[in-house]
Amino acid sequence: MAKVRDRTEDFKDSVRRAALNLGYDESKTATIMASFILHKTRERSPFTKASMKTLESIGALEKFLMKHKKDYLDLRRTTEQERDSIEHEVTVFINSCREQIDVLKNSINHEQSSSKGWLGIRSDNLNADTIAHKHGVVLILSEKLHSVTSQFDQLRAIRFQDAINRVTPRRKLKSGIKNVTESSNSNNFQSRGNSEVREDNEVQAEPIRVQQQVLDDETRALQVELASMLDAVQETESKMVEMSALNHLMSTHVLQQAQQIEFLYEQAVEATKNVQLGNKELSQAIQRNSSSRTFLLLFLFKYKNCRRFGNGSIDIGTALTSPYLCLIH
Amino acid sequence: MALNLRQKQTECIIRMLNLNQTVINPVGGGVGTANEEVYKILIYDRFCQDILSPLIHVKDLRKHGVTLYFLVDKDRKPVHDVPAVYFVQPTQLNIQRIVSDTSRALYDSFHLNFSSSIPRPLLEDLASGAVNSDSIQRISKVHDQYLEFVTLEDNLFSLANKNCYVQLNDPSSGDKEIEEIIEKIVSGLFCVLATLAVVPIIRCPRGGPSEMVASLLDQRLRDHLLAKNNLFTEGGNFTSSFQRPILCIFDRNFELSVAIQHEFRYKPLVHDVLGMRLNRLNVKGEKGGMKSYELDHSDPFWMANGSLEFPEVAVEIEMQLNKYKKDVEEVNRRTGGNAGPEFNGSDLIGNTKFLMSAVNSLPELTERKQVIDKHTNIATALLGEIKERSLDSYAKMESEMMIRGGIDKNELLSMLRGKGDKMDKLRFAIMYLISTESLSPSEVEMVEVALRESEVDTSAFQYVKKIKSLNIALASANSANRSNIVDWAEKLYGQSISAVTAGVKNLLSSAHQVALTRTVDALMEGKPNPEIDSYLVFDPRAPKSTSGSNSSHLKGPFKEAIIFMIGGGNYVEHGSLQDLAHSQQPVKHVIYGTTEILTGGEFVEQLAVLGKKMGLGSSDIAPAIK
Repeated sequence: MAKVRDRTEDFKDSVRRAALNLGYDESKTATIMASFILHKTRERSPFTKASMKTLESIGALEKFLMKHKKDYLDLRRTTEQERDSIEHEVTVFINSCREQIDVLKNSINHEQSSSKGWLGIRSDNLNADTIAHKHGVVLILSEKLHSVTSQFDQLRAIRFQDAINRVTPRRKLKSGIKNVTESSNSNNFQSRGNSEVREDNEVQAEPIRVQQQVLDDETRALQVELASMLDAVQETESKMVEMSALNHLMSTHVLQQAQQIEFLYEQAVEATKNVQLGNKELSQAIQRNSSSRTFLLLFLFKYKNCRRFGNGSIDIGTALTSPYLCLIH
Repeated sequence: MALNLRQKQTECIIRMLNLNQTVINPVGGGVGTANEEVYKILIYDRFCQDILSPLIHVKDLRKHGVTLYFLVDKDRKPVHDVPAVYFVQPTQLNIQRIVSDTSRALYDSFHLNFSSSIPRPLLEDLASGAVNSDSIQRISKVHDQYLEFVTLEDNLFSLANKNCYVQLNDPSSGDKEIEEIIEKIVSGLFCVLATLAVVPIIRCPRGGPSEMVASLLDQRLRDHLLAKNNLFTEGGNFTSSFQRPILCIFDRNFELSVAIQHEFRYKPLVHDVLGMRLNRLNVKGEKGGMKSYELDHSDPFWMANGSLEFPEVAVEIEMQLNKYKKDVEEVNRRTGGNAGPEFNGSDLIGNTKFLMSAVNSLPELTERKQVIDKHTNIATALLGEIKERSLDSYAKMESEMMIRGGIDKNELLSMLRGKGDKMDKLRFAIMYLISTESLSPSEVEMVEVALRESEVDTSAFQYVKKIKSLNIALASANSANRSNIVDWAEKLYGQSISAVTAGVKNLLSSAHQVALTRTVDALMEGKPNPEIDSYLVFDPRAPKSTSGSNSSHLKGPFKEAIIFMIGGGNYVEHGSLQDLAHSQQPVKHVIYGTTEILTGGEFVEQLAVLGKKMGLGSSDIAPAIK
């Protein structure tokens, strides 16, 4: 990368020369030069201190996430429970960071509103630029938190994807087994039918075989029942996974729209309010118009009468009033 | 080592925003240890705003901890607890403002960054002002950033020197003024070279501003390299084995036609017709409101199709739109429309998977749609203008003129009486002047009459006519020694106009290629070529005593080049240089820079100013409005 030229040394020389030109004595010059080296430790406002702390905690959160990312994603290194616990910890952390940011935001608003109470005289600390700066700080913090949480959401999405992928082949396999069992069941029924026909011919000869048959049938029935129960359980499991995935989808992507939808809603509400106000104003104007009309008529009649009894120039008076009367009608 | 100017400049600016401490990139973003000075305020002046705006967006500023940004002229209120980063030009006015800011204690600490080297007297002014107001302790650092140029694309930069061509070619300019301009150009070029951290080999044609700039730049680089801690010490050992690039400096008079011609490729059209400035564009949208668009390296369609002719661009937009529609249909089909009679359990889980992948691909699809919408709007606006002014016929006729070296009289007059606004007609007339080898005075008379009929201010036309006639007169008078012509012209006007003859010569070639591209090709090849043998060579690294004989490596084939055009350039030259670079095997890299990026209209206005200064042109006609 290209180097940059540090001119601070040149600046210091110029400062020294300027001090000498102004006639500063040695001690004063020395203090000025010393200020370059010793930086006065500045008193930091509580707002700044709090924002620094929040920044640190977001940084710690990010480091934590990075550390456990590999463990979280790799299927073999962690169990489901460990993954759940990681998720839980991260969520708690995120909530605490968000609370800190909210506290900062509220402190700005609080300061703003409390200062207004003093007859609108604001102290030096609360000018528009400082408030804008504080809002900027809060915005930066929330953007950082947002980026960390979106990283976390991505990890969760990968986890859900894996889960669904794992469940799907099992379903396929299971449905394959189901077909096989179904076909074997039909075979059994068929063979049972056959054996029944055969049995009718040899009914007395083998009561033991019949008993065996019955036992076999029972076993098969149990098998079928177990298989179907397994089916049902697995279906429920997959449905749960789907639901959590859909839930995750909703919470991340659709809620992103939530702000915009809220904004639109508020705008619509405002628009209706404005239209109502407009209607009110219009009706008032119409009223005023009609009342002013009668007022004007009365006034002009009076004027006409006065004019009649004033100078002899009746014509001007009538000339003035008649066009007005025409206009009003 | 590919020279990517935009990236290097962005890196320098980011480093400045981080208070010039070396930026370590910790894993996962820059929040490793809570740096004491994380939040800062950025203050800039108008020139530096132009530098910053194509490179960084507001949200990127926030990523580096900048909470507020102001113009230095604005009235600002104090903000405590924050350092302020100033990025301004080193001028007297800015220094005064800084001194007043420090005395009012607006911010806790001041980090001053100047876009080029601050001269000693101004530094002393700053120091004395600060000492007077007892605010030395607030000024923490002073840096020279050497960033006084505007980078528009990876390989396109401009020095934003306004009206450079007028000042250099003005017959009434004194030596002092010309020296000032040359000084400014040289300092801008020096900043570019410092940012790239290369010391190139400089070549330029003889005579004229290019020679002056080249020799002064050579001098400046030599002086600087003698200093101990100069800016060009190459970092690792790897870079020193790489070949140095070549820096070619040209003057606008080398080829006037390219700056005036009507072009029909997408990028030059957008710049010329819609007035793109600093990669931003304002276009009338579909619903009638003005929309502001940004066209830079983050727009894939612009990067891929910027150099296509306009009809092809429309075809591309169609294609992209169809592809997008197909993709959207597929997404819809897979996720939404399956609630039919075949709905059963197994479908549902497949559905969720598709839904997830679809939602993930939604942002990408929306972005694609936005890009397509943007370019559709731009193309529609362009189409409207083209139809109204019949720009396509202008472009076609002009390129034919350049190739054939002349034009049929009737065609010429019909164009001048046809559609198109005044500037178009003026440009067409000037192109006629430049391209025709032998001008018959009667034809020129007719052209002037036609122009006056359309109420076009003919000062620019007269100026070019005068220059051309002068040149031809010189050529016929003393055709033996070309350099004598140049000397005489220099004496008369202070700069070289021999290039107009060169331009005419170029037109005799059948395939009309931008003359600049051909010359650059020859210079980069390094083989002996009668066109470029007369060009001067400067090598700032070589000691002055060595002659040019053992400088074989100076003339060898170069892989990288920086081309600089004094007086104004445009996207047409940039585009043709890029075509040249990409058509070579192996691919070469060419950076194109100029004092100012001008549309055809703006350049002709400068010619008109020159014409008026020389007392040419009719004064009773209203000036040409674009």
